[in-house]
Amino acid sequence: MEKRQDIVLGLLFAGLGIAAAVMATDYTGASGTYPKVLGLILALLGGAVTVRAVRSGRNEARELIDVPAQMITAAVIATIYVALVVPIGFYTASLLLMLALPVALGFRQLLYALTVALVFMALIYLVFSVLLEKPLPREAFLSFFGSGG
Amino acid sequence: MDFYTNALAQVLSFGPLLAMIGATLLGVFIGALPGLNPVMAIALLLPLTYSMDPLVALAMVAGIYNGSMYGGAIPAILLRIPGTPASIATTFDGFPMADRGEAAKALKIACWSSALGGIASAVALMTVGPLLARVTLFFGPAEYFWIAIFGMASVGVMVGSDPIKGIMAAMLGLLIGTVGIDNLSGQARFTFGQTWLLGGLDLIVVLVGLYALPPVLQLAEKADLKGLTAAQLKLTNVPFKPGEVRGLIPTWLRASGIGIGVGILPGAGGNIAAFLSYNAAKNASDDPSSFGKGNPQGVAAAECGNNADNAASMIPALSLGIPGNVVAALVLSALTIHGLQPGPQLFHQNPLLVGGFMMEMLLTSVLIFALGGAVATRIFAQFQRLPGVLLVPSILILMCVGVYVINGRPVDLWVMLAAGFAGYFLEKVNVPLAPIILGMILGPMAEQSVRRALLISRGDASELLTRPISAGLAIATVLVIAWPIAKAMRRRRAAR
Repeated sequence: MEKRQDIVLGLLFAGLGIAAAVMATDYTGASGTYPKVLGLILALLGGAVTVRAVRSGRNEARELIDVPAQMITAAVIATIYVALVVPIGFYTASLLLMLALPVALGFRQLLYALTVALVFMALIYLVFSVLLEKPLPREAFLSFFGSGG
Repeated sequence: MDFYTNALAQVLSFGPLLAMIGATLLGVFIGALPGLNPVMAIALLLPLTYSMDPLVALAMVAGIYNGSMYGGAIPAILLRIPGTPASIATTFDGFPMADRGEAAKALKIACWSSALGGIASAVALMTVGPLLARVTLFFGPAEYFWIAIFGMASVGVMVGSDPIKGIMAAMLGLLIGTVGIDNLSGQARFTFGQTWLLGGLDLIVVLVGLYALPPVLQLAEKADLKGLTAAQLKLTNVPFKPGEVRGLIPTWLRASGIGIGVGILPGAGGNIAAFLSYNAAKNASDDPSSFGKGNPQGVAAAECGNNADNAASMIPALSLGIPGNVVAALVLSALTIHGLQPGPQLFHQNPLLVGGFMMEMLLTSVLIFALGGAVATRIFAQFQRLPGVLLVPSILILMCVGVYVINGRPVDLWVMLAAGFAGYFLEKVNVPLAPIILGMILGPMAEQSVRRALLISRGDASELLTRPISAGLAIATVLVIAWPIAKAMRRRRAAR
């Protein structure tokens, strides 16, 4: 058990439970009773985790992130990708991700990465756009050519 | 018998058959790649099944599940890297066998053992499942409520190492399940004035985030830049000695029984089944010291045990709505997205679908014999030459496309990302993720049942406890929660 982490975790859940219970008081009748009860139980359990961590004599080290540089890089790039998918288009954003993320994680064989990216994107196009005909965010560059995408 | 004959006819039609073959191959491939696992694969697959026939969708789930449980043995034997958590025990004797040049033989034993374990498990599902479902004919709203609570309590307590955190996760799932318009009163709950929240948080969006993003981030942390060399994946063929296969039969029977037993227990998974089967084989052996040094019985026990858990975990899931493990929870999700209510009513309302899924679990196990042999293994093993860093963006793209196509809403991508980051950190602080999903699945059933029971009894809460079955389920729920907590307290007192 990592004491500080468990104290914070318990407090977070207790806070969430109390907030839910308070919000549920605005709901009429049985619609409010059920989430109110759930919120209170969640708050109690969160409190129990915190109290247990405070009272515990043990404090085993537990890393929250094993390799922070790699994890944060991947998380930031994934977030940027999600932010770009709609404005610049699904295939453009995905191709950029296929190249940028491996490079950011230290992969230097660009031709290899590009080949895998093109093969993978072709497969995605065949499955989702051709076979399943699923609408995906349209490519921004197509607007330059006056196409409907 | 007609139940299964009709189901078999449906399952052997073109769509489900093709789905089973394709998904079993895909499952072997997924299992063979360390870092990918069946849970992640099925979570990614579910959004794509919205527009499919339910039997085709379930065929894909069955194929991926059974195929990947065998596929996990490939890197476990060749590299001592378990492809899935359930194949850890396979490394004990599989890798020493490969080390002395018997990799192909070890893979063949793993293939046969996986197939036989899966078949035994599917037969157990087909015989016990309908019997258990018949009992549920006597269930009213109070019993349904307790079934849902018992399921969440048992999974919350047994999955993971900390019962309090497990129950906390289940409560969080139940609370998330209340977001949106209340079906009984029309009251909007926890929507913060956002119209996209009126329909509630999409189960599949949260599920893909929770189950697919944490392994992707872990894969990024490892930053594997090279993959494996061709030399590391070379297989040489060593034939079986006379009587060697016959000698494995007692191990297969024992491991099948253990795997089925573990599968039925909520919360226990394929890794526990594999370890217990391995230990049982070792204890029963005339030469236990040979285990861990390349004894084929060790490979057979571990692989048969982990596949025998598969279909058995669907017994409580299909008949009672209590998933035995995370994949069973995903199967319940698959049923939910096709408008089917998991739980006791399922057998009575959709017998062909339930029977069809059972048949698919059986047939995909049989398919492992045909599709999982040395040739397929040689092909799939080659994918391990792909550097891990190239898999990270590929899975992210599959997650995004899968989530986006559900509702065509960009906001779902952000929900998925938030759920994924939350899942990553929750796992790190020992909060299990399965109870959250289970809470989201069973929450609406629990709420509607308890409110109906109270309406019928005109607000008398004692109605929830006075009927014999509901009282029994309530006592079982209390025991399930109290037992591990009391055990932990006793252990702590003894340590002082």
